[in-house]
Order: sequence, then C-alpha cells, then structure tokens
Amino acid sequence: MSDLFVGKLRAVRPLAVLGTIGVLVAACGGTSTAGTGLAADQTLRFPSDSAIGTLDPAQINAETDVEIYQNLFDGLLKFDDKLNVVPDIATSLPTISSDGLTYTFKLNPKAKFWNGHAVKASDFIYSFSRSAAEGQDAYGGNFDHVVGYDVVSTTKDWAHNQKMLSGMSAPDDQTLVIKLTSPWGVFNTELALAAAAQVVDPTVVNQDDANWWSTPATAVGTGPYKMVSYTPKQSIAFDAVPNWWGSPQPTVQHVKMDFIGDMAQGVSKFEQGGYDLVGYGGMGSDISPDDILRIQKDPTLSKNLKFVNKVRTIWVQYGFGRADSVFKGDLASGPAHDLRMAFSLAIDRAQLVQVACAGGITCSAADGGLITKGLKGYAGDGSDPLAKFDATQAKALLKSGDPTGKKTANLTYYYDPNKAIYKATAENVQSQWQTNLGIHVNIQPIDHATFIKNYTHHQYNLFREGWQADYDHPQDWFDNLFIKGGGSNGGEFTDPMVESLVAKADAEPDINKAIPDYISANKQMMADAAYAPLVYFKGEFLFKPYLQGAGSNNFNDFYWNEMKIGSH
Amino acid sequence: MFTRGALLYIGQRLVLIVFTAVAVSSIVFLGVHRLPGDALLNERRPDPAAEAALLHYYHLDLPLPEQYVRYVTGLLHGDLGESYVNRGVQIMPLLLREARVSAEVGAAAIVFTVGIGILLGVIAAVRQNTWVDYLATTTSVIGYSMPNFVIASLLFLLFGIGLYAWTGGALYYNSGWTGTYGTFDQILIPGFALGFPYASIVARLTRASMLEVIRQDYVRTARAKGLTSRVVVIRHALRNALIPVVTILGPLVIGIVTGSVVIENIFGIPGLGKEFATSILNRDYNIVIGLFTFYAIIIALANLLVDLLYTVIDPRIRY
Repeated sequence: MSDLFVGKLRAVRPLAVLGTIGVLVAACGGTSTAGTGLAADQTLRFPSDSAIGTLDPAQINAETDVEIYQNLFDGLLKFDDKLNVVPDIATSLPTISSDGLTYTFKLNPKAKFWNGHAVKASDFIYSFSRSAAEGQDAYGGNFDHVVGYDVVSTTKDWAHNQKMLSGMSAPDDQTLVIKLTSPWGVFNTELALAAAAQVVDPTVVNQDDANWWSTPATAVGTGPYKMVSYTPKQSIAFDAVPNWWGSPQPTVQHVKMDFIGDMAQGVSKFEQGGYDLVGYGGMGSDISPDDILRIQKDPTLSKNLKFVNKVRTIWVQYGFGRADSVFKGDLASGPAHDLRMAFSLAIDRAQLVQVACAGGITCSAADGGLITKGLKGYAGDGSDPLAKFDATQAKALLKSGDPTGKKTANLTYYYDPNKAIYKATAENVQSQWQTNLGIHVNIQPIDHATFIKNYTHHQYNLFREGWQADYDHPQDWFDNLFIKGGGSNGGEFTDPMVESLVAKADAEPDINKAIPDYISANKQMMADAAYAPLVYFKGEFLFKPYLQGAGSNNFNDFYWNEMKIGSH
Repeated sequence: MFTRGALLYIGQRLVLIVFTAVAVSSIVFLGVHRLPGDALLNERRPDPAAEAALLHYYHLDLPLPEQYVRYVTGLLHGDLGESYVNRGVQIMPLLLREARVSAEVGAAAIVFTVGIGILLGVIAAVRQNTWVDYLATTTSVIGYSMPNFVIASLLFLLFGIGLYAWTGGALYYNSGWTGTYGTFDQILIPGFALGFPYASIVARLTRASMLEVIRQDYVRTARAKGLTSRVVVIRHALRNALIPVVTILGPLVIGIVTGSVVIENIFGIPGLGKEFATSILNRDYNIVIGLFTFYAIIIALANLLVDLLYTVIDPRIRY
C-alpha cells in the first residue's frame, strides 16, 4: 500500500523538475537595432544600495539624491563632465561687478518646466529664498553671502510666511541680479552645485511644500527627465521629457533604478544583463573588493570595470582642543608637534593601501595634501611630508615628544566600522604604530551615528576623520574642517596663519588666483602636523560595453541625456 | 464554527495582543531614544540653529515623556509618523506595503516548511530503513545544519550566477523584486532558502511522529479493514502525527519572520526584513519602533492561529 503512495509521487517527479525549470526566468539579451547602431529599447537600468532621501532642491543633501536630481532640475550654472562651471539656464557665466558684489545673469528664454510653464527670473528668487529658509540642514547655507540671507534663513514656517532674499531682483523675466554682502569667490561654484540652487515651479510647490517632489504628477522640474513612478525604498523610474528645451536631447528614454540591499547582488545582476551599469547614484565606492578582484581576473568582465578618483580623503585627526589631549598645542614645533609628526611618519602608506584597499585598487595613498587628487587645490603627488614613511625619524620624534612614554601609554583611536575600509585602516595603523613606534594604541569601533555625533562634538583625541567634498572648491574643505568653529572641525584645530590664508582665498572671485593661498594653507597645516593622511578613495564602476557616454568624474555621474544604449 | 468558549478565548488573546504591541513598542521607543546619535547626523554638521529647527520639525526636541505620549497617541490612530531619513515617507503605508512583500516570501517559506517537511517526513516513515528514508533523513540533516544565509548564498550562486553561465544566459534566477507583487521565481528561491531549514525540522518531527502512530492499533485496524495505503497514511495516521508538528509551527513562524531579515537582504527583496536592518543602522527611530510592533503583532497572531489549529486537527482539544 505504501508502494502505491510513493508510486504516485514518482509520477509527479518529472512535473516537479519541469516546474523548477519553469520558475527560472528566461532572459534573452538580444535587442533589435534600427540601423543607427542604437538599441531599440533605450531603457537604462541600474541599482543603488541606498534609497532616496529627498529630491527637493531645498533639502537635498545625500549623494544618491544628487546624482538623480541633477537630471531632473536645472540651475543657473552647472558642472560639465570635466567639472568646469558652465551655464545651465543662464545663457553665459554671470557679469560680476568690479567690487565683486553684484552678479547679473541672463536667462535662456527657451527654458521651461516640463508642465509647460516658462522659467522666469522671479522663479529663481523664490527657489533660492526657499532653499535658504528650508534647507538649513542641507545646503541652504550656500546663500549666506546673499543680501537678506539672515532674515530669510531665520524665517519660521517659510511656506506660510514667504520672505524673499532682498539681495535678489528681477528687472525682467530673463534677467536676474544677485547682490552679495561681501566678495565671495565660491559663489559661482555654489550655484553650479546640484543642491539648493535649482529652480522650482512656485505654482506647484506652493500647493504642497513638503511633498510635491515625491509624486510624479507634481515633481515638476526643468531637466531632461521626469519622474514617472516612485515606490519608496523599492524603486524609482524616469522618462525623458518630450521636446525638452535644452541639449543634448535625451536618447535614453527610460531610466529605472532599484534600491537593493546589497551591492553584491547588483553586481551579479549586472553580470546577468539585468543592469546596464553599477556605480551610478553615488554607489561608485560600494562594490566589494572581493567582487572587484574577481572581476579583474575575468578577461571579459574586466573590460567593464572602470576606476575613477572620487572626492573623499580620510586621515587620522588629533584633538587640539581637549585639555586631556597629548597632541594639543606646539603648532610649529615642540613636544606635541613631534608626537603628531611621529604618528604620521610611522605609517607606511604603501603597505596601508595594499592591505586596506584590495591591493591598492580601491584607494590610493593620500600623499598630495588633504584635498583629493583630481580636485582643485590638490597640492601635487608626493607633496605632503606628513605622508612620508620614515620609521627611524618617527622613533626619534616620539622620543622627543614623549621621552618617558607616559603620554602614549594608553591612547585610543576611534573609528566607525560602517565601511570596511575604516576598519581595515584602523587595524593597519594600529599594527604599524606598534611595529614602527613600539607603542600600543587601542582601537575602538563606534557605530557610525554615535561616532559622528561624538567627533563633531569634540569627544575624541585620536580618531578617523574624513571629508567628501560637496563641490570642487578648496573652500569646502578648509571652512568646514580646519577653521575655528567649522561645523566638522572635530579636532578643534586652529592656526591663525591658516585662518588668514583661507579668509583671503575665500574672498577671491577668481579661483585660479585663490588656489595658491589654499595650497599655502594646506602646507601650513602640514608644517603644523595637523593630521596624519591616510588614503584617497576611488570609485569603481561597471559599464556594459554597449553604453555610450556613460562615466563619472570625481563628483558626479555623467548626465543621463548624454548617454546612449548601443545595439547589443 | 467556533463555540462561545472559543470566541471568548480568541477575544482574550486579541486583547492581550494589543497590550503586547503597546508594551513592545514602548520598550523599543525608550530603548532607541537612549541610543547616542540619530538619523539627522552626518559629517557636514549644520549650524546649531538649523540642527535645533530640524529636531523641532520631528518633535525630537520635546521631553521624552511628551514624545512618548505623541507616539502612543499616533500608534492608537494607526499613525507611526514619518521617516527621518526618507523625507515625506509615511511609515504606516510603507510598512504595510513591505509587510505584503514579506508575506509573499513568508507564505512561500511556510509552504516549503510544511509541504516539503511533511512530505519528506511521511515518505521517510513509510519507507523506513530504505534508501528513500536515508535520503530524506540526510537531506533533513543537511537542511537544519545549515543556516539560512548559507543556503541563500548557495542558491544565489547556483541559480543566479551558475545557471546563467551554464545556459549562456537562457535560464537563471532573476533576483530583486519587480513591480508590486514580484514574480513567481523572485518569491520561490528566497522562499525556499527561508523555509528549507525549518522544513528539515518538520521532516524529522513528522518522521518520528509517523513512526509512532503507524504502529498503533487503530492504524493496524484500518489496514486490516482493507483501506488503501493512501487513506490509512493520510486520513488516519498523518492527522494524529501532525499534532506535535503543529506545536512547533508557532516557533517556526517566528523563525521565518526573523530569518527574513537575512534572506531579504541577500536577495534584495524590499520587505520588512530588509527594512529592519536599514532602519536600525540609519537610526530611523519611527520605523524601528513600527517594525518591532509589527513583528510582535505578527508573532502573537501566528501563535494564536497555531493554538486554534489544534482544535481543527484534534477535536478533543477545546477552549
């Protein structure tokens, strides 16, 4: 009897096998061509392991959001693929008055929102004022040199109490005048940044100030693409705007982005043909070293792999403000200076990148100053004496800085282990300090949120610090990190000479004239042994060979409307 | 369908579930607010006034008891507030959508758990000490010896990458989640990965239980009466053998719910499990509290369902 029962099961076994096969998706990569060398289906697909925070220009803050948003909105200026500031809705770069206080822009009369509304100069006054008021936790502060900023930025409930920046005026619909309180050489760069400075349609935003951007029907921008669906934390999709006012006209007609949990899955789906690229949306540093090493060994796949220097540097930061810091004081010379120098010279960066960066492919030694290689203000390869490895000198300096060994007897280096590279660098510098200085430094992982809170509140004397540039201008680094009161100056470093050089450079409208002062400021910090440089990050991207026009610079992915999907 | 006593029992349990949900959410609320750091922090620290405005917007500047009262009031009205990280995203609709996604995978896992588990257990019992029994037993041992994340990774490697390579891209597991409901294969493989370890436990339990039952007198009597093997096994033996199996279904559901945290992250499924991990890492307090509450309710309801199943399987059990 039991044989009969099992016999029935045998009968369904082939069906089970067929069923199993049936549930596996048949995926054919072939697409037809139309004689143009382009694929018939111009749909771009890629993953992100981070969901959208917001696409509201006033509040945009995160890299993933910026990478999407720059295709949906326009400002007066923008960065081209080589990071030059170029006109966007403005017809040219602004006319700047001789005193550096008045910027006059002429607007492209063809510019319009995808709902058909023409862009007027007054829309920029509305948009910038709104960002200044509602974007205080994002990039609203970029307008702090505009006349009237203090009033607008402190306005409560701006949506219902709209005050405009008094320094902005619109003599006509195509002319915009912006007056500054003092010369500010960074202003054009800040206007080109894909955050805070993009124009929105007041008639749409006023209907639902908080949520207008999250619904396809009201997410109205001037860019070449518009949102067509958004499922929070799952996916988002965009279509090209028909008859877009700008150029080049988009060839890619649909863009689909999945918010996945793990970039390893994105890589495998790329290999399957499910994604056209990996790394867009701010994910250029999120492919695991294991995957990169595997892909590098594959003769076919390795052709899809591209590395780009990105905009992040990490270093060891010393506490200069806390009373219990052994690294405090003696800026130019003295025991504390020698101690800081000893800690920096004891690190062999060649070994560090070998260990922490998958054999040196995901990052490079930070030996050219704090500002990441490729950005304006980079001091030059090998120019940072703090990045030199000299164990003998380091030991001598340690003896000078801590003759009894008491100061360095119980030091702790704090870091956040949310990125593998932070953990790897912490473990490696600990090992190198032990080997090259003969001192044991404890390393203490702290979860990311706590770590950020503690270091921005000056709780540590020795810790991992880093910076991801917001825009390609040295001011972004110095004012935030190494000027007294800078919001991210976790080590409370301050040097009057650095402050003076940075203040002078910040006021210079011509960035080329300002850069030497910024570099001098960095060199002064090198002389102060203000930090121990570690590594510059690289971004890793996977691009299918049929993608044309895809790529990334230090900051941003190339614009979607520059891309084409070739036949494949 | 239910007696008055059973309805009273269900009512009592539902009231207890409400208290449990409030208690769990309160404990989590107090716990997460004790954690240092928050979702609003990043390396670019806003000036203090902006930071204060942001805290005010999310009511995080209120005294904790006041925040708690606001939270509980919202909870009782089905409003869990707004995400701190993803602006404008209301949490209740988000969790409901993600719960539906997780439910699809979870249901597949339960089907595997119960279906494969009972099937393997029954076959192993009725074919005791044959190669079929050894194969089923070995499969079970492998199943419950391997954590589900190992099984998931292997399946991903096998069906997602290996099969793609072997068939030149003609056949493969298409990971992720397409559209609202996902596709059959997008549910099936993760469901199997999630359910297989528990199916192995069910198989072992079913086998042991069946072996005990099929040796009992009433089964021998049924056979002596000339009933077919299928009728004897399914109608007479299996029904009684299932009682201990049903007993562990409650804990198994809990295992499947918690296991989804790993599985959904591996397969990129936008469900509660994936949300659980990301919201904790992001310090997205409201979502964390909402998720814990959701899980508490799901687990409590699953246990109630299991208790009610007893009455269906064994009429001698009454409430």
